[in-house]
Amino acid sequence: MSFVAETFPSSPRVFVQFCHGDRRYNPLDTLDVHYQVDGLGDETVRAVERTVLWYTEGKGEEDLGVHFFERIVDRQRLPPEAVLEGFATRLPLSPLSYEGVIVKIRWCVRVRFFFGGGRDFVSEHEFTVGRIPPACIPATTP
Amino acid sequence: MVRLPRFFGKKRGHRRTGSQALASLGDGAFHAVLLVAGLVFGGVLLSGLAVPEWRINHHFTPTTCTILGKGLVRRTFTEPAGGTTSTWQPCLRVRYEANGQPTEAWTQPSRTTLTSDRDEAVGRLTAWRLGQNVSGWYDPTNSATVVLERGYNWWMWLLALLLPGALLAFGGSGLMRAIRRWGRSEERSAVLSRFTDLLDPLANGPPQAADHPGVPTCDNLVNSPGTFLAYRLPIESPESWTLLGFGLFALLWNSVLTVLAIGAGLDLLGGRTDWLLLALLVPFAIVGIAGIVIFVRRLVLATAIGTTQVEIAAQPLRPGQSYELLLAHGGSGTLESLAMDLELEEQATFRQGTDTRIEKLIIWRKPIQSWRDLNLAPGTRFEARATVTIPDLAMHSFTSEHNAVRWSLVVRGTPVRWPPFVRSFPLVVFPAEATP
Repeated sequence: MSFVAETFPSSPRVFVQFCHGDRRYNPLDTLDVHYQVDGLGDETVRAVERTVLWYTEGKGEEDLGVHFFERIVDRQRLPPEAVLEGFATRLPLSPLSYEGVIVKIRWCVRVRFFFGGGRDFVSEHEFTVGRIPPACIPATTP
Repeated sequence: MVRLPRFFGKKRGHRRTGSQALASLGDGAFHAVLLVAGLVFGGVLLSGLAVPEWRINHHFTPTTCTILGKGLVRRTFTEPAGGTTSTWQPCLRVRYEANGQPTEAWTQPSRTTLTSDRDEAVGRLTAWRLGQNVSGWYDPTNSATVVLERGYNWWMWLLALLLPGALLAFGGSGLMRAIRRWGRSEERSAVLSRFTDLLDPLANGPPQAADHPGVPTCDNLVNSPGTFLAYRLPIESPESWTLLGFGLFALLWNSVLTVLAIGAGLDLLGGRTDWLLLALLVPFAIVGIAGIVIFVRRLVLATAIGTTQVEIAAQPLRPGQSYELLLAHGGSGTLESLAMDLELEEQATFRQGTDTRIEKLIIWRKPIQSWRDLNLAPGTRFEARATVTIPDLAMHSFTSEHNAVRWSLVVRGTPVRWPPFVRSFPLVVFPAEATP
């Protein structure tokens, strides 16, 4: 089990717990994630979106693909009533995480909170799918 | 301290540092303006062109008109820089029976007879004789309106509706997209739906293999059977695109040149000499001839070197697996060297200002086999078998809207007395078989 906390001044803190401590997954593995939020203060949470997605990084424009998306608006499942939530999804066969030279592919879990005043707060937590070694220049093996 | 909203921010492609809400609002407002312009322009054209023409063809009542007189309508326009110009419209005075009553009115013999040449307008009236009976159609709601010609002016319709149609399509789709994304997170907007597909079919990027998100489909690689092995790979030759580019340039440039030359020739036959046009024709002709010479040279080069074919035993490929290959090269002459490599290339598409740029980088290359001093005889072809192995931990092929990781077999040859050539044959590598 691993815990990661993201802290911002005057922002909520989100603790995310992955079922694999090293956050390394293989295709078709089940990704089981639990998250906990505190530091909300008096702000009312209107909705929460939980997403598992991949996105590209590097020299090109960013592309992203959503694998799992869930929007929660039910008050019983929103903070402060529910402070510990979780979800599970089976990872797809592709794309695999990739650390290329000008193209990189990253997988992450995003938890986005929408507050009553129209503000939103997103917390992003990376993990890897597959075991592709990083590319380099000059490279001899991929 | 009060901080004003930022209307302008640093931007690279779709990434902005400014307010997302303001950006969405601006995007929506821009497309709304285009949509409204299309609606207004379309409405004006419909009421001014389409409805009158449709009424003439469907509501006007047929009658017989007797031509009583001929005349010209002159319209005079004052130029902004001073002076005036006039246009002339032939018209006819006709008598006809409308709603049981004899009626007289002026009408135009044709809708396309407006001219700035008075003599030409007078000449067009000679076809009509006084006292002649011709077919006509009058407006049952206003019997003073009569026409001597019916039908649709399709060219005008096409040209007139093209602009409002484009404004409506561009503005409407942009506004729908802005509305759909308004107040939504990046992730929620990216969730695919049938509505998204319908609205913006290009937004999902290139086609992807079933059950393998981000992996390109290999449909185009398995639709051509090989002669010895299962599949013949399609060729991606940069030289072919260069040849096509030079061909198109030579064709377009010389088409324009021909039109200008015909105009200049007609002027010369008519006793007029347009020195400016003739002076322009000389450098235009030099560029046109150079374009043809370069295209023909490239064409000879492409055909003289001969064709290259690569066949493979299976598709798609998997890491850790080996596959049999067949390389075949036709043509004649001597090849100093011929080599086949396996390459992995990354490709990134990005925008700089208003330019869209593509950067490609070969990050890995492995020689498969090479040959030296090949003597090719006409009517036969060089054939060689080889084996390609995809490394165990290789990245799979990947494609998205702006990024790609591509595998390919690349054949490089150096013919004697000709420049070297490079021919690329794309492959699709799937991820290794997964076990849950």
